[in-house]
Amino acid sequence: MTPALAALLSHPAIWRGDDCAPEPAALPTGFAALDAVLPGGGWPSHALTEVLLAREGIGEMRLVLPALARLTRERRQVAWIAPPYRPYAPALAAAGVDLARLVLVRCRDAAEALWAFDQALRAPECGAAFAWLAEADERKLHRLAVAAREGRTLGVLWRRPGVAARAAAAPLRLALDAGDGALAVRVLKRRGGEVAQALRIDVARRWSTLPDGVALPPAFAPRAPSRPVRPDPRSSAGYGQAQARAARVRRAAN
Amino acid sequence: MRWIALLFPSLPLDVFARALRPGDARAPLVVHGDGRAPRVVAANAAAREAGIRDGMPLAAALALCPGVAQVARDVAAEDAALAQLATFALTFTPAASLAEDAIVADIGPSLRLFGGEEKLVASLVGGVRERGFAVRSGLAPTPLAAVALARSGDGRRIDDGDVAAALAPLPLAHFGLDADALATLAAAGVRTFGAADRLPRGGLARRCGRAFVAALDRAAGRASDPRVPFLPPPQFAAKLELPANVHDVAALAFAVNRLVQELASWLLARGLGVTELALALSHERALARSLDSPCTHARFALAAPSRTSAHLMHVLRERLARVALPAPVAGIALATEAVAPLAGRNHALLPGGEADAPEVPLVDRLRARLGDDAVRLVVPHADHRPERAMRASSPGGGATGTPLPAAIEAPRPVWLLREPRPLAGLIEAQPWVLREGPERIESGWWDGGDVRRDYFVAESPSGEVAWIFRDHRRGTDDGEWFLHGLFG
Repeated sequence: MTPALAALLSHPAIWRGDDCAPEPAALPTGFAALDAVLPGGGWPSHALTEVLLAREGIGEMRLVLPALARLTRERRQVAWIAPPYRPYAPALAAAGVDLARLVLVRCRDAAEALWAFDQALRAPECGAAFAWLAEADERKLHRLAVAAREGRTLGVLWRRPGVAARAAAAPLRLALDAGDGALAVRVLKRRGGEVAQALRIDVARRWSTLPDGVALPPAFAPRAPSRPVRPDPRSSAGYGQAQARAARVRRAAN
Repeated sequence: MRWIALLFPSLPLDVFARALRPGDARAPLVVHGDGRAPRVVAANAAAREAGIRDGMPLAAALALCPGVAQVARDVAAEDAALAQLATFALTFTPAASLAEDAIVADIGPSLRLFGGEEKLVASLVGGVRERGFAVRSGLAPTPLAAVALARSGDGRRIDDGDVAAALAPLPLAHFGLDADALATLAAAGVRTFGAADRLPRGGLARRCGRAFVAALDRAAGRASDPRVPFLPPPQFAAKLELPANVHDVAALAFAVNRLVQELASWLLARGLGVTELALALSHERALARSLDSPCTHARFALAAPSRTSAHLMHVLRERLARVALPAPVAGIALATEAVAPLAGRNHALLPGGEADAPEVPLVDRLRARLGDDAVRLVVPHADHRPERAMRASSPGGGATGTPLPAAIEAPRPVWLLREPRPLAGLIEAQPWVLREGPERIESGWWDGGDVRRDYFVAESPSGEVAWIFRDHRRGTDDGEWFLHGLFG
């Protein structure tokens, strides 16, 4: 390749189909493996992203919290529209989120949520807007994608995996699944080439920051037992002496 | 010194007519005095076209135009309107004062800030007209001369120099002087300022009083004329009576806009921004008796102090759209509930750099449409019981919360369930893997919210990482299992 051609191809306005499109603004996710596959090396901070997951609680928020913490510390506002549960302040504060900039919006119906999401995406002071919408037709999603682009906001729409077959209005679509102790992330759509393999992101890292000296009963040591534990007080797995005593008391009563 | 005088020739009419949208203002309307045979005090253009004149008995006006709308003169509303207009004038200069039915303001020191006399006068007079008042202005080096000029016609000016010579042709009656003295001089054929000013001082003072001569000197700029500056009221409360009952909220927005403009100038004159407003819509008296309350109240709070009328109006309009009117509205009242100091804004050094356009903050737009309690912040609260370790606060409230000491760093879930959910059946059916725990939380025996729980981080068979606990409240160690949160 001649140097002139190489110089031309390295121009930021030109991208080739076989590599990631340059994203005008990306926000590092905090997970190197994920950054590597996302266009621009992070969450697209001027676009809508769809995240599909079957149920909450598999580590989806831990995937985005580093980016949120960073945004709020940069004094940008973050809006959560119609979250499925109560966001728990102590956990968010521990993750470094500035709670004064996290606005929670409760909506009575889907129309209100759509409106609020659109407003948040267009608001200049808003750095990120998350919405949990049960259903939204593709035309409305297209409007939201435009709103995120024009409002220069990181928009994340949390949806159920049933919609995966349909065309996505958002330029980035991820599917999350619970893996074995890690979060499996599949990139369903992005600007640039395909990503065939699911990524395994270790969002758990370490469960707690309790001192290492805390001795757990063997049954409760993380992944220690080959068979899962059924937390039944009558099982011999042991809850410590208190449980053993309780079991003895029950036996005596029987 | 450069004084502007503002006169409001149709004030009795304007305090009512300004609540009407331009389309509705075409219907004939008269304002009448009281007494046994009330007379017309002011009539609008449509009423004049029908032949109604000021001073005509009301009965005659009704005969000329049977459909004319009539309202009794409201002197208190006129005084309030003058005070509002003086407050508006204070946004141009710190030296504005009331002079009977006129407002005089020294705009000399403000000319440079507002880009010259033309621009300042245009925006001051334009602002008054925008508020729905007819206005005549006069500009002169002394306040008395400015008032006399405004009475003689609109937009007349006297430049610095020989003020007495410029005032000479003006009628004496326009200077607001003692009526007896005017009659004495008129009998002698002295009717203009120039003629009176030429008379020998000693004789004039003997016949008309020292105060008369002093007034002539003040008008001509030969004596100083100190004025007591107008002070805007410490609280804002404005009312607007609607001449016709209003049924729909959209028509109401026009009248509310009038009050919001007044509020904005009051805030600017006092260097404040509003954070909480109360709007009261009063219903017609006859109907109000059948309702629970004679007023419909709407309150709203802003996330940050503001005094931009576009911002306030946006919030009010959204809020009004959610108000259900039980009856037609006869009057509106707007009052500030809470204000906060708001510093002035620096203008950009280079033209076109005005990045901070009057944008309505997101929080205010959401709250106006969805309701005040739909938009919340969460703050940590120093309590070991998980359900009490968090409080909701409203944006802009300034609550930062009281987190527990940082030394306590046990895993906490991002999602908390509103109520702990019993797991009995679930946990029996399929095994859950306990990842970490137990963390004993035992607290609250003193306030009735007694908890005694062992918390675990557990993974459900379907892969959710959950925060579950075992309830030991009853003192035994084989209590129920509950799901309390999800490590999203």
